[in-house]
Amino acid sequence: MKWRLIFRDIVHSRSQATVFVLCVALSLVCIVAINSFRNDVRQAIIGDARALHGGDVIVHSHYADSPGLAEALEEILAEEGVDSLRTWEFYSVVRRADGTESLLAGITAVEAGYPLYGQVELLSGGSLATVLQPGQVVVAAAVLERLGLDQGDQLLLGQGSFTIADVISRESHRPVDFFNFGPRILLAADDLPGTELVQGSSRVHYQTLLRLADERRIDEVAALLQARAIPGQERVATYATAGSNIKRFFDNLFFFLSLVAVFTMLLAGIGMQSSLAALLRGKERSMAIFRALGATSAFLLRHYLLLVLVLATAGAVIGIGGGLLLERLFLNLFAALLPENVVVSASLVDILEGLGLGLAVVAFFTLLPLASIREVKPTAVFNKSAVRRRNSRERVILLACGTFLLGGLVIRQLADLQVGLSLMAGILVLVVSIALLTSLLLFLLARLPEPPLALRQAIRSLLRPGNATRSIVATLASAFSVLLAIYLLQDNLQRNYIQAYPPNAPNLFCLDIQKDQREGFLRLVGEDVELFPVIRARLTAINDRKIDPETRPERRGDSLTREFNLSYRDDLQGDEEVIAGGTLYQPGRPNPQAQVSVLDYVAKLGKIEVGDRLLFNIQGVPLTAEVSSIRSRTGSMLYPFFYFLFPEQFLQAAPQTFFAALAVEPETVSALENRIVNAFPNISTINVSQTAAELGEMVNRLAVIVAFLASFAILAGALILVSSVLATRLERIREVVHYKVLGAGSGFVIRVFFFENLLLALFSAGSAVLAGQAAAWGLCRFLLEVPYHPELVATLGFALAMVGMVVALGLLSSVGIIRRRPALYLHEL
Amino acid sequence: MLEKYASSLVCLLVVLSLGCDRPENDRQVEEVVAKTIVAVGDSLTAGYGVNIDESYPALLEEKLRQAGYAYQVINAGVSGETSSGTLSRLDWVLTLNPDAVILTIGANDGLRAIDPDLVEANLRQIIEQLQQRDIVVIFAGMKMVANLGPGYVSRFNRIYPSLAREYDIAFYPFFLDGVAMQSAYNLVDGIHPNAAGYQIIADNIYPVVVEAITGGQGQ
Repeated sequence: MKWRLIFRDIVHSRSQATVFVLCVALSLVCIVAINSFRNDVRQAIIGDARALHGGDVIVHSHYADSPGLAEALEEILAEEGVDSLRTWEFYSVVRRADGTESLLAGITAVEAGYPLYGQVELLSGGSLATVLQPGQVVVAAAVLERLGLDQGDQLLLGQGSFTIADVISRESHRPVDFFNFGPRILLAADDLPGTELVQGSSRVHYQTLLRLADERRIDEVAALLQARAIPGQERVATYATAGSNIKRFFDNLFFFLSLVAVFTMLLAGIGMQSSLAALLRGKERSMAIFRALGATSAFLLRHYLLLVLVLATAGAVIGIGGGLLLERLFLNLFAALLPENVVVSASLVDILEGLGLGLAVVAFFTLLPLASIREVKPTAVFNKSAVRRRNSRERVILLACGTFLLGGLVIRQLADLQVGLSLMAGILVLVVSIALLTSLLLFLLARLPEPPLALRQAIRSLLRPGNATRSIVATLASAFSVLLAIYLLQDNLQRNYIQAYPPNAPNLFCLDIQKDQREGFLRLVGEDVELFPVIRARLTAINDRKIDPETRPERRGDSLTREFNLSYRDDLQGDEEVIAGGTLYQPGRPNPQAQVSVLDYVAKLGKIEVGDRLLFNIQGVPLTAEVSSIRSRTGSMLYPFFYFLFPEQFLQAAPQTFFAALAVEPETVSALENRIVNAFPNISTINVSQTAAELGEMVNRLAVIVAFLASFAILAGALILVSSVLATRLERIREVVHYKVLGAGSGFVIRVFFFENLLLALFSAGSAVLAGQAAAWGLCRFLLEVPYHPELVATLGFALAMVGMVVALGLLSSVGIIRRRPALYLHEL
Repeated sequence: MLEKYASSLVCLLVVLSLGCDRPENDRQVEEVVAKTIVAVGDSLTAGYGVNIDESYPALLEEKLRQAGYAYQVINAGVSGETSSGTLSRLDWVLTLNPDAVILTIGANDGLRAIDPDLVEANLRQIIEQLQQRDIVVIFAGMKMVANLGPGYVSRFNRIYPSLAREYDIAFYPFFLDGVAMQSAYNLVDGIHPNAAGYQIIADNIYPVVVEAITGGQGQ
């Protein structure tokens, strides 16, 4: 009897039931897919980070190991499951055997087994272990190009002569220093003494790399070594803590993936909540009849709880099946695009975890609709009065419990208590804001002067007591704002990291170009290359307040007391924008009052505002300047930028050198370097073509994953959104019947419905744009710490698409009924 | 037009440097300051990584004043500068009207393996321009790190004593004497002196400076 009842209920409300099952299934597919994908990517990135740093634990020093550290290292190396090797990195001048040409090169002497993680790929395809024999070196291609040598030739290094055995084509572990003054050469550590290059008066970067079989011991071993190391001289880091330029990108990527999972969870929850609420509203009459026949509310609750469980189980089965199917699809579709070391696989743990999370979401989002069963009053239902108890204590307690549960899920998903709590607080604020905004809009709507009849009817319908306008708008707006936020976050991450490595990014930097060398340099490299003047100075006071070295404000290890590079130009660079002060400089200021535009980074560091007076010490000469504007930049670290920018007239006479950033065809970089250094021996060139290309490639591969997961979440979210619209719109069908009974023509009914749907869509889209933008801005600004771009055109496109979808779905779901005779429906009602 | 602006800026800055924009206590000191020493150089002079009060020009000024020499020592060090940069900005240094210049440049040239002939030619021009203006030159020598290779290091290290002899100028043979490669006296980068390192440098260079500014006559 019980099961038959449930079956009949499901069949009777098959539309809403289908939507509910679909939402559960979609949420599970998303959560399982994203979580398992995230874990795969995390493993791959950890692999990349290890390869980048060369070990699990890394000990750096500019001096040979102190006795304490050496002893500690010895103790650790004596343990099982610990491998290690040492490297010596330094610059040296290498020469051709005939002594005609020389070159500054970055030398790394390595012990056997190098590298512990990652690999050194050689042009010959051979392995480093077999190629790097005593008396041999492997070199970067630039060494050959710059010195005019070939493989097999001799190279003089210190007191030694070495055969060039092979060419490095790719190296996963390289000095973390991005700017290298010379191309790389790898040398076997056993050959190092023969060079006589490492002695008491040498500047060498000593490194010990450790590989631990037991990953869990990494932090413990690092702490142990750190305790025995000399502070300030010997640094112990792990691959996870070692600073690298791309670590922040990795961190942000993980955070974004976690957010996508949380957002998808919320979206699915919204879908479930709205479809279940619609289903239950459709059952109010049967519930009232049951109650009238003596059934208790506890009986009804149990009945519908069971119904929800049946539907949720069906959704879970479909979801997991779909997840596994999708995983296969991922593998086929994206295999070529994913980083080589990402293995797409949904483990049982991922599936079970996804299932647990999904069901917890089901529990939270079905709590309130189910609780409303107890509020069904037969008399109220039969009289069609819309009396409902609101804000009862029970409801508040339920809501609080649910929020607590959801908070726990979010924190679990983000794996960070503080960030999770902040995010929950942010979500609550947004939901409350959307609700308030909706109330305000409805309030204003009610006070509109007499509109045409169809629109008036639509407004009345929206304002009718008992109509679910508020909850529909809140549901649609929340879902849409989440979608918009995912899109905006993805877009901003792309903008900040991925677009930072465009194919035409500079790959050769030239330092120390003197004033009188400008013309000659430009003739050599091309007249269109921009030269950036660089003036070194210290900031000594802000508004006559001396910068106190004792209380130096520090941000990410930076300090106002250091020397800064000043520059001058009269316009903004392409990747800069003024964020305070209106224009770069304030026109019409009397000379000789100098003006300075400050970059937002340093403005934050020194709490500098527009109008402040800054006192600089330019190599012994003071200069006071008023802050004319604050700038922000979106470009990458590959583009030059200056914290302090002056109008040309104020710094033109100051001592300066020039800096050039060139984008050169990679294969011609070495030849150009040679031409520059031959013509201007004082100019230092930094060739980053290989590093930039590798870094760009890695970031781009990860970008594909970000874009893919974001699109997947958006697509799934859009489906859920469609489902929600359908679920809520199905309820509205009975309105049509009333109009028809009253003699309205189909045209009029369509107009009323069009206006009603349009208003709903506009309200939802408007609130969602505000909420989505606010959420994305907050996340970018406070959690990801990247500059935010609102992407207004895309937002407008999103909003229009949503309005179109809501109106179209609303009308479509009514059209079939409009065409048919009302009597049939009156029977059913 | 721009040159006009530029020259007026130089004038303005010189005026400012003479006290218009200085804190009150500095101005009082300047009333008794008779002469100016300008410390020209790279990050080793600028005091990279330490407070400017801990850099050697500041410590040297303090020592000179304590000994009764009415000199101010202006820190005109520029981190990352090479000898070519110093030569280019010499005019700017000269706007400070120095009586003496402590010249400590070349470390970055060496670390970037710039041709020692170019370094020598630059230093030669700098010394000559200073001498032409009757400015006392105190020349601090540099020795290059051994990892650059014996060929380069020997060519580089020869430059300083040879120029000092040629121009007969006050010479402090190795600016980082007693400090280089000593972890206790350097920052974690192993190449820039810390506050304790600068104290040693100031103590070491002080007698050479006194000898040069007094012409060996004492106070």
